[in-house]
Amino acid sequence: MALADFLVSLLTVVSVYTLFGLGLNIKYGFTGLVDFGHVLYFLTGAYVTVVVTLPAAATGYEGIGGFALPQLFAGVPLGGLFAWLAAIAVAMVAAAVLSLLVGVPTLRLREDYLAITALGVATILHTVVNDERWLFNGPFGVRDVHQPLTGAFPVSLGSFLVNLAVFGLISVVVLAYVGYRVGGYVYGVDVRAAALATAAAALVVAGLGVATLGGTLVLAGVVVAAVGVALLARSIRRADGYGQPVALFTALVFAAWYFGTPLVTTGPSGTLASAVWLFDPTAGSSGGITYGRFVLLVSAAFVGVAYWWCERTVNSPYGRVLRSIREDEDVPEALGKETFRYKVQSMMFGSALAAAAGGLWATHIAFIDPSQFTANITFFAFTAVIIGGAANNKGVVVGTFVFWTLHTGTRFLNDFFPTEYATQLAALRVMLIGVLLMVILYYRSEGLLGEQHYDTGVAADGGEASE
Amino acid sequence: MVDTGLVNALAQGVVTGSIIAAGALGLSLVYSIAEVPNFAHGDMLTVGAYLALALNNPGELPFVPNAVAVPFAVAAVGGVVLAGVFGGLYEKAVFARFRDEDADLITMVIVSLGLALVLRNLVLFLAGSANVTYDTVTRVDTNVDVYVTGGGLGVELTKRVAGDINTLDAWGYGWPVVLVVVAVAVAAGVAVYRWRSADTGYERVHFVSPRVLAVATTVVVGAVAAAVARGGAVATANPAYSTRVGVSWKYGAILAVMLGTMLCMNYVLKRTKTGRAMRATADDQSLARVRGVDIDRVQLVVWVLAAVLAAIAGVLLGWYASNLNPNMGFNLLLPVFAAVIVGGIDSPYGAALGGLMIGLSMDVGAYLLPAEFATYRTAIAFVILVAVLLVKPEGLWGDA
Repeated sequence: MALADFLVSLLTVVSVYTLFGLGLNIKYGFTGLVDFGHVLYFLTGAYVTVVVTLPAAATGYEGIGGFALPQLFAGVPLGGLFAWLAAIAVAMVAAAVLSLLVGVPTLRLREDYLAITALGVATILHTVVNDERWLFNGPFGVRDVHQPLTGAFPVSLGSFLVNLAVFGLISVVVLAYVGYRVGGYVYGVDVRAAALATAAAALVVAGLGVATLGGTLVLAGVVVAAVGVALLARSIRRADGYGQPVALFTALVFAAWYFGTPLVTTGPSGTLASAVWLFDPTAGSSGGITYGRFVLLVSAAFVGVAYWWCERTVNSPYGRVLRSIREDEDVPEALGKETFRYKVQSMMFGSALAAAAGGLWATHIAFIDPSQFTANITFFAFTAVIIGGAANNKGVVVGTFVFWTLHTGTRFLNDFFPTEYATQLAALRVMLIGVLLMVILYYRSEGLLGEQHYDTGVAADGGEASE
Repeated sequence: MVDTGLVNALAQGVVTGSIIAAGALGLSLVYSIAEVPNFAHGDMLTVGAYLALALNNPGELPFVPNAVAVPFAVAAVGGVVLAGVFGGLYEKAVFARFRDEDADLITMVIVSLGLALVLRNLVLFLAGSANVTYDTVTRVDTNVDVYVTGGGLGVELTKRVAGDINTLDAWGYGWPVVLVVVAVAVAAGVAVYRWRSADTGYERVHFVSPRVLAVATTVVVGAVAAAVARGGAVATANPAYSTRVGVSWKYGAILAVMLGTMLCMNYVLKRTKTGRAMRATADDQSLARVRGVDIDRVQLVVWVLAAVLAAIAGVLLGWYASNLNPNMGFNLLLPVFAAVIVGGIDSPYGAALGGLMIGLSMDVGAYLLPAEFATYRTAIAFVILVAVLLVKPEGLWGDA
C-alpha cells in the first residue's frame, strides 16, 4: 500500500472522529455535560444511515429496514447522493430525538448523574443492538452499505498525463498550503531552538530507520532516537513555549517519513506518488481519484461545515449562555434563561453531529457491526478533546489528529511482536491512553491549545466584550 | 418434578444483592467523603478478584510464577489486603494530587475514567481476556423442595448424585404450627423494635438501627422456632403449590462474609474515632478540618476501605459466578451506581440497602421476564435508577 493511500485512510478516520469530537465538545467543552454515552449517537447515526438506504430484501440481513431510499431517488440525477444525504439527515434527527429522551430525565440533576445514566443507556442499547437480530441483524452486522456514487469512481479526466497534471496540481497546492501555514507558525522561532529541533528530527528519523533493519540494530536505533527526543526537549527549553519547536519537529519527521521512505524503497517515483496524493495512478486504465479519496473529501467537507456551524454557535450570544451554564448554572438562571432547555438543545446538537460522523463512518468502512461502537470510542473522543483543549474547536481537530496518529502509529509495533500478543498490545495501548488522560488533566488541564478566544462581534472598547 | 420458582429467584437475589451492596458501600464512601463519582470502582472489583486469583490459581495467569498456590480462603484474604494497598496507591498517586489542585467534580469523573481504563487494561494485559476460575473444591448443591398441601407445609432436602435425585431428609409442619412459628417470630421482632426504639432521641446513636435489628430478630427467631417445631413428613403427592430452592454452602458463606463485613463497617463508622471523622468530613469538609480532623488521613482511610470492600465484592462475585474476566467489574458498575443513587449518595446504609434491592430486582426480574431477556439483567437496575432519579433524585434513604 502506497503511503498516500495510508495517509488518505488515516485522514478519513481523523475527519470522522473530528466530527464526532466536535459534537462532544459542544456537550462537554462548552456546556459542561459529561456525556459518557456519546458513542450511542455515533451508533445510531451509522445504523440509521445504513438501514434507511439498505435495498429491500438484502441477503443475510434479518433486521428491520429495506427502505431503499436510493432506489426511490433513482429517477433524479445524482439520486444516490441525495438519498444518502437525506439518510444522514434522518440519522441526525433520530440521534437528536434519542438524546432528548436521555436528557430530559437527567439534565435537571447534578452532572455526575448524567455521566452514569448516559453510560448506562449507551451500554444497554449497545446490548440490544448486539442481541436482537430482528432489529439491525445483531452481531452479524450490516454488509450492504450504500456508498453514494460508487459506480462513478475512479474518476478520470481522460489521459494519464492530464489526470496527473490536474489532480497532482491540486494535491501539491494543498500540501504547499499546509507547509506554508506550518512555516508561518514556526517562522521567527529562536535560531538555536530551530537548529536543535532539526537535529532532533534527523536523529529520530535516522534512529527509527535503523531500527527497522532489525537485529541488534533495533537497540542502537532506539538509543539514537532517544537522543533525538532529548535534543527536542532542549530545543523546547530554549524557545519560549513548546508549540513552535514541536511543530517544526513534527513537520520534519512527517516530511522525512512521507517523502523519504518511498524514495528509499521505490525511488523518485515513490516520492512523486506521495506528493500527488489525490491521484491514484493504479486506479482504472489511466489513473484517477479513487472512491476512498472521494470519501475523504466528503468527510472533510462535513467537518468544514460542522466546524463553521460550531464556531457560529459558540461565538453567538447563545454560545455565551452555554458557557455560563458550564461555569455556574445559577447565573444564567438568575438572568432569566431556561438553562434546562439550553442543556437539552446542546445535547441534541452534539448528538446530531455524532450521528453525521456515524453515517460517514459507515460509508467509509462499508460494513458495520456492534463491535465497532464500544464505550471505548467515547473515552477516546474524551481523550482527544482534552488533548487538544476542551472548549476549543480547533483543539478538537488538533487533538483528534494527534490521538489517532498515535493510536494508529503504535499499531506498527504489532509487527515486531508475535501475533499471540495482539490482545496484550491492544490492552497496553488503551492503558497508556488512560495514563495520558490523567497526566494531561494534571499537568496541562487546558490541553495543547487551551480554551479558544471568542469573537462575539462586540467591540473591545464597548465594555466587557472580551472573554 | 419440582421446579425452581420465585422463592429461588429471591434467594439468588439476596446473594447477588449482598455482593452489590458491598460494592455500593465502598462507592458511597468514596462518593460522599472523597467526593469522587468513581467510575473506576467496578474495575477495583476486578483488580481485587484477580489479586486473589494470582495467589490461589496462578497457573491461569501467564506472567505469574506458578510456585505459590494457597487455598482459596487464604488467597481471598490476601487478595483483599493487597487490594487495600492498591487503594492507598490510587489515593496517593492520583486522587490526592487532584484534590490538592481543587479539581472540580467533572474533572474527577474523567480522572476516575482514566484510572478505570488503566486498571481494566492492566488486568487484560497481565491476565488475558480468557474466562478463568478459582481453584476451589467442587461445590455441593442441595435443593430444598417446599410443598404447600392441605395438611401443611412439607419440606424435602434433595441432592443430585450421578443423575439421580436422592432425598436426604424430609419433614413438615401442620398449618397450626406454621401459624404459631410466624406469630412467635413477628412478635419477637416487634418486641425488639419497641425495646430498642424506646429511648430514641437526638443524641442517641444506635449501633444497629432498631428496624434492621427487628427484621434480623424475626428471621432468626423464625428459623430457630421452625427447627424446634419440626414434625414428621407430610404427604407431598398432590401439593397445591411446590417450589424448589437451590442452596449451597457457598451461598451461606457469601452471606455470612457480607454480614460480617457490614457489621465491621458499621462498627468503624459509628464506634471509632476515624469513623466519626469520616462522617464529619462527609457532612462538611472545611468544618471538619476546623475541628482538627486530618482530612488527608481520612481520605486515605476511605480509599483503602473502598478498595477493600470492592475486593471483597470482586472475590465473592468471581466465586459465586465461578468465572473471572477483565470486564466482570465494569459490567457490575451500573448496578453498583444504581444502588448508591437509589440509596442516596450520602448514606452508606442506604447504599447497602439499595444494593440488596437492586440485586433482588435483577434476579426476580430476570425470573419473571421471558428467557430471551436474560441478557438485560443490568437494564433492570438501570430502569430502577432512572425511575428513582425521576421521582426522588435524593435517593430513597438520602436526606439531601
